Amino acid sequence: MTAQTLAIAIAVEARKAFASRVLVSTAVLLCVGVAAISASTMAAAQGGNEQLAAKLGPLALQGGWPGLLAVAAQVTAAAGLLAFGVGLSWLFAREFTDGTITGLFGLPVTRPTIALAKLTVYLVWTLAVAVLLTVAVAVTAVAVAGEWPSAAAWAGLARLFALAVMTASLPVPAAWVATIGRGLLPAIATTVALLAATQIVVVAGLAGGWFPLAAPALWAVLPGTVSPAQLLLTATVPLGFGLLTLHAWRRLQLDR
Amino acid sequence: MSTVRIQARGLTRDFGGGAGVYGIDLEVAAGEIHALVGLNGAGKTTLMRLLLGMLRPDAGTVLLNGRPPEPGAWSRVGHLVETPFAYGELDGRTNLMLAARLHGVPVPEAARMVHSVLTELNLARYARVRARRLSLGNRQRLGLAAALQHHPEIIVLDEPTNALDPAGVILLREALVRRAAAGAGVLVSSHHLDEVARVAHRITVINGGRVIGSLDPHGIDIERSFFALVHADDERRAREGADQELDDQQRRAA
Repeated sequence: MTAQTLAIAIAVEARKAFASRVLVSTAVLLCVGVAAISASTMAAAQGGNEQLAAKLGPLALQGGWPGLLAVAAQVTAAAGLLAFGVGLSWLFAREFTDGTITGLFGLPVTRPTIALAKLTVYLVWTLAVAVLLTVAVAVTAVAVAGEWPSAAAWAGLARLFALAVMTASLPVPAAWVATIGRGLLPAIATTVALLAATQIVVVAGLAGGWFPLAAPALWAVLPGTVSPAQLLLTATVPLGFGLLTLHAWRRLQLDR
Repeated sequence: MSTVRIQARGLTRDFGGGAGVYGIDLEVAAGEIHALVGLNGAGKTTLMRLLLGMLRPDAGTVLLNGRPPEPGAWSRVGHLVETPFAYGELDGRTNLMLAARLHGVPVPEAARMVHSVLTELNLARYARVRARRLSLGNRQRLGLAAALQHHPEIIVLDEPTNALDPAGVILLREALVRRAAAGAGVLVSSHHLDEVARVAHRITVINGGRVIGSLDPHGIDIERSFFALVHADDERRAREGADQELDDQQRRAA
């Protein structure tokens, strides 16, 4: 892998990714969805829905900026994992489902280089989505609360942006599974399994901040409960599975 | 002595249950069109996948231009195995540009190359059409254009006439003859003696994962010779299988 072949691979992958509607529509659905669900859920909780209020916690009942940001963080943690997982799964699995994987052999640009380029394009896409999501929630909050953000609200928006970025790093195992499983369904199933595992661990109170998949959401909702070490542990998921994905693309054979 | 573009020695990949290729020796010289002919399931695609690094062999070696393949050498290879390298959301020109870039061709040269191959394979009118809107035959032409546009020294095409209309077959045949005349080594596979196999300099017959003979491209009634070779090999393997089963039964009885 050289800088030149990586630059070529990134240019090619970016051209493919952004010509397709998959990433754009996923981004729009996530941003609009999080903003709309946050506003409507908070309104329902304030309107006397006790079950919802109990689930969302006391912050949601405050309403205004604090309430909306608290709900948006919870929705982003779950919906973001699913949406980012779908986007990443498609980026890798499409080569197998479209049959274009044969054309990625026998090239001076090696397959690990192409896989790294895919992860790079994914990173750029997730950063853009995180910005858009934060803006969508901010606009919704201004409309709902009828006031500009306070210093605390700005800090909450920054936490929401960071949560979106960290959440985007969690479905990287789906890229590895898309490669091993040679298709989209195993990767989507992995994303759903990650989401389910996170929900179960959090609801059951099994590991809290020490569970890498749950740490970003817990930190965004209750910042004081998660230590920097626990947040850093989250990085092992994208790093570990990113390396596994590059290895899988290097060793890839069309034997199935 | 002419350069050997592709050399396979004792190439073996066993998938179990009789599927795979076994001890294949094959050479494609510079300037030569070498046709690999065999019925469905004979092992043509497996052999091509082994040559292109899509499969790792259980045994045997592959040399391209006399050397084991290394990343830089692949820029001089063009191939189409099974699915055309064309992304549905991209138009014909963009697909070809990306394929050229992945073969290490700089952007200005790639643009000239794409223009030339679009004309050569009569695809110019589809340059701005998304690949998903193309007919199967035109998608195949686009895949062939991606494999041939950078004038590779080594060309490997698996059943390239699939879905092509007669005009497309003639364009492909002429494109391959031109490239071979310029020094490329061309390996094409087919399940029958189609128009491309008929312009080959050499025809190798493969059956049951093994090379079972060759045909004279200029011979009379080579279709009949092909089926005679395959039939004789099927009968021989059936006899060997029956003998083996008998031996096994006798051993168990003893």
